[in-house]
Amino acid sequence: MGYFRLARRNAWRKPLRTVLLMLCVAIAFLIHGLTASFEQGNMAAGSASDDVLGVASAAGRGQSLPMAHLSRLAAEPGIAAVSWMTRLRGYAVRESNIVAISAVDPATMVQVSGTELGLTPVLMAALATGRDRVLVGRTLAEVQGWRVGQRITVTVPATPNKEGSRDWRFEIAGIFEGASPASDTHFVIARYDYVNALRTRGTDRVEAFVLRPAPGIKAADLARQIDALFANSAAPTRTQSEKQFLQAFMRQYADVGLIIDLVVGAAFVTLLMIVINTQMLAVRERRFEIGVLKTLGFSQGRLLALVLGETLFIFLTGGLAGLALAKLATVMIGPGLGLVLPVQTLGVALVLILGLGLATGLIPAIRAMRIPVTAAFRTR
Amino acid sequence: MTTTPDLTPWITLQGVRKGFRIGTETVPVFSGLDLTIPRGDFVAIMGPSGSGKSTLLNMLAGIDSPDGGTLQIGGARLDSMGESARSAWRAHNMGIVFQFYNLLPMLTAAENVELPLLLKPIAAGDRRARVEKVLELVGLAGRGRQYPALMSGGQQQRVGIARAIVTDPALLLCDEPTGDLDRKSADDVLDMLRFLNRELGKTIVMVTHDPQAATHARRTLHLDKGQFVEERKAA
Ligand SMILES: Nc1ncnc2c1ncn2[C@@H]1O[C@H](COP(=O)(O)OP(=O)(O)OP(=O)(O)O)[C@@H](O)[C@H]1O
Ligand SMILES: [Mg+2]
Repeated sequence: MGYFRLARRNAWRKPLRTVLLMLCVAIAFLIHGLTASFEQGNMAAGSASDDVLGVASAAGRGQSLPMAHLSRLAAEPGIAAVSWMTRLRGYAVRESNIVAISAVDPATMVQVSGTELGLTPVLMAALATGRDRVLVGRTLAEVQGWRVGQRITVTVPATPNKEGSRDWRFEIAGIFEGASPASDTHFVIARYDYVNALRTRGTDRVEAFVLRPAPGIKAADLARQIDALFANSAAPTRTQSEKQFLQAFMRQYADVGLIIDLVVGAAFVTLLMIVINTQMLAVRERRFEIGVLKTLGFSQGRLLALVLGETLFIFLTGGLAGLALAKLATVMIGPGLGLVLPVQTLGVALVLILGLGLATGLIPAIRAMRIPVTAAFRTR
Repeated sequence: MTTTPDLTPWITLQGVRKGFRIGTETVPVFSGLDLTIPRGDFVAIMGPSGSGKSTLLNMLAGIDSPDGGTLQIGGARLDSMGESARSAWRAHNMGIVFQFYNLLPMLTAAENVELPLLLKPIAAGDRRARVEKVLELVGLAGRGRQYPALMSGGQQQRVGIARAIVTDPALLLCDEPTGDLDRKSADDVLDMLRFLNRELGKTIVMVTHDPQAATHARRTLHLDKGQFVEERKAA
């Protein structure tokens, strides 16, 4: 029976209480794990560049811009390269199995954000071998189990094609990796010319222009300059950095990310208060025994470690259970929702478990440490 | 191989003063207490309630410290040690037996006995072996896995004694070790203490209200109003 065992024994004295505490911790970390994997899968804007600007309709998401804006953009000073894209939101086989397709102009897209997406010359050459060729991001390909050369069908409810069907057929020409592991690769890159020629709605319109400022040009200044250019046109624009653009684009409703962070934060704060309160109570209940341990020669440091160990045990058990559930969820239902829970995120969560465990255990542990030794003889 | 105490003082109290503050006043318990106990002695301390018996034990255990005077055990000056030094000293040099056993309810008998060993650098296997040995010594061989709540008072006190001696300390302090036991269990416990003193050479200081208990000791001291008023040698 080592120290940790003793702490564990203490924790199991009131099994219901301990299980409830562990459940609290587990739920908090399940929420954390799910939201982290959601952000990982859907909002991988972390690696997005601040040097790339996205020009979308000022009328809001879902609104498009006329292709005609391109010539005015091209004539604008301070722009190194400009490209355009439109998106198809569809699903493969099952409706819950969502697949996002970005239809881009390959030649110009490579100039604007080829590095960020990891578009190699080999990939570009593969994309050029046919109008229906697509590149699939690494995470999406893994989740779907797609291979190079495979023919895929994506059903796009909002956009029927000229074959009179909502089923869009593509052939996978390559897998793109993104610039770093944190890059968002949960989508398909298709060719704008193919999609534009085949669609029955929104022909010759784009969802966004993306552009790279010329060297020495401040992105923020250029954004203001562009929005001013189209302010009085039929289709005013809203220009943001790619990061902001991606974030705004990915968040389907309101500011989901902020709401999520608030919810998770509130869950953690509540958790901290519940656990601190309960452990304070546990320490008070055991005043007598702690006094006995002190009489046996247990030093203040050891008692501190004992109570800390108990809280850590509760956090580790609950937290790991919560993360395991989150991981299970991402594996079982995750692909459809774009949930990804990579090892790094789990590592961060583990650090969080230990940190919160120590933080919550400390106050009760110091309380236990300060219980005077003579109390052992007076409590009865 | 019955041991007899040598007569050189091992525990020495000189002019020990101790009082408790109640509000603004200090109520004195001892104002100049002298006491010497040689190694290997078995002393019973008797006296009316409130005479300071527990207070004396607390000071001997290093749980409480004197307000003045000197308290020395085996060359160590307990009165000048800080709290953490005293707690380390306690862990290595003495065992304490309580009236109400003070076993931890969530631990088995064996785990309770093992507790003091956690404070020492002893491997888990050796710890278990020592626990087995002392449980056997107190007549509880094979009972290690039982929880204290399921044991009789006499058995619990024997677990308490096993816990007190598992680190093989030279000094045992007992505060009314039989106060909560029936006659039969009390006699068993007293026989055990006598065995520990006579056969294993433990020095024992035992506070008791029970004249019968006192007869097991080598001598009895009577404490009244903070002074030893009478000494009676056992036959
Ligand atoms: N922590 C304390 N605070 C205030 N007074 C105390 C404290 N501990 C002991 N006393 C007082 O000191 C005196 C001696 O107490 P002590 O417990 O040593 O007596 P005792 O001989 O052990 O009595 P009993 O036989 O009832 O156990 C008593 O008057 C008691 O009220
Ligand atoms: Mg007493």
